Amino acid sequence: MKVIILIFVILSGGLLIYGTMDMPAWGDPQSPANSYVSPRYIEEAYAKTETPNIVSAVLADYRGYDTMGETTVIFTAALVCAFLLRKNSDEDEDKS
Amino acid sequence: MLDFIIGKFNFWFYVILMAVGLFAMLAKRNLVKKLIGMNIFQTAIILFYVSIGVKKGNVHVPIIVGGHGHEGELIQAADYLNPLPHVLMLTAIVVSIATTGVALAIIIMIYRRYNTLNEDEIIEIRQKQLEAEV
Repeated sequence: MKVIILIFVILSGGLLIYGTMDMPAWGDPQSPANSYVSPRYIEEAYAKTETPNIVSAVLADYRGYDTMGETTVIFTAALVCAFLLRKNSDEDEDKS
Repeated sequence: MLDFIIGKFNFWFYVILMAVGLFAMLAKRNLVKKLIGMNIFQTAIILFYVSIGVKKGNVHVPIIVGGHGHEGELIQAADYLNPLPHVLMLTAIVVSIATTGVALAIIIMIYRRYNTLNEDEIIEIRQKQLEAEV
């Protein structure tokens, strides 16, 4: 079974390495990710949000609602952990 | 060929890291080891995205040099790293922490009920239970 999994993993890894042939080179300033959307954020973030840290400006100002929704994710995860791990008195009956 | 190797070698490390994580998720029988494999997988993807935002040359981290009090100076996009992959991966790290926490809680529950974390043993115990019920 492990041999089949190893072959599958190597095949998928080879496919991904084949896919990197179309990726831009590492650190290329003209790569698509660095040249279409991000210059606007870098140039305007400080003037619009008064936050020197651009990452914080995008996270908390441009994507503020997304970050607020993220707190819901963390809250739900904490709630699930609390419900799963609490010591409930009727656990013995539940086991049956 | 040499340009190809020098330009793309970072992606290969992430592919190798991802393959290690995928193998651990599929082949390991211990549930905690499976979870560690999932974390390695997520780390590989996070590193991949962060590496997309890199610019070679004399560039700063995405914090405006001088900070407050430099309103008049022109900010050149070529002088700063791409901040957007960092922001998106910050979100991904939060989700990864949440999934890891919930998965660990579920693993603790499984251990309390079956007294083992080995997948095969859990399936065996469960089948015996089902046969006993029938």
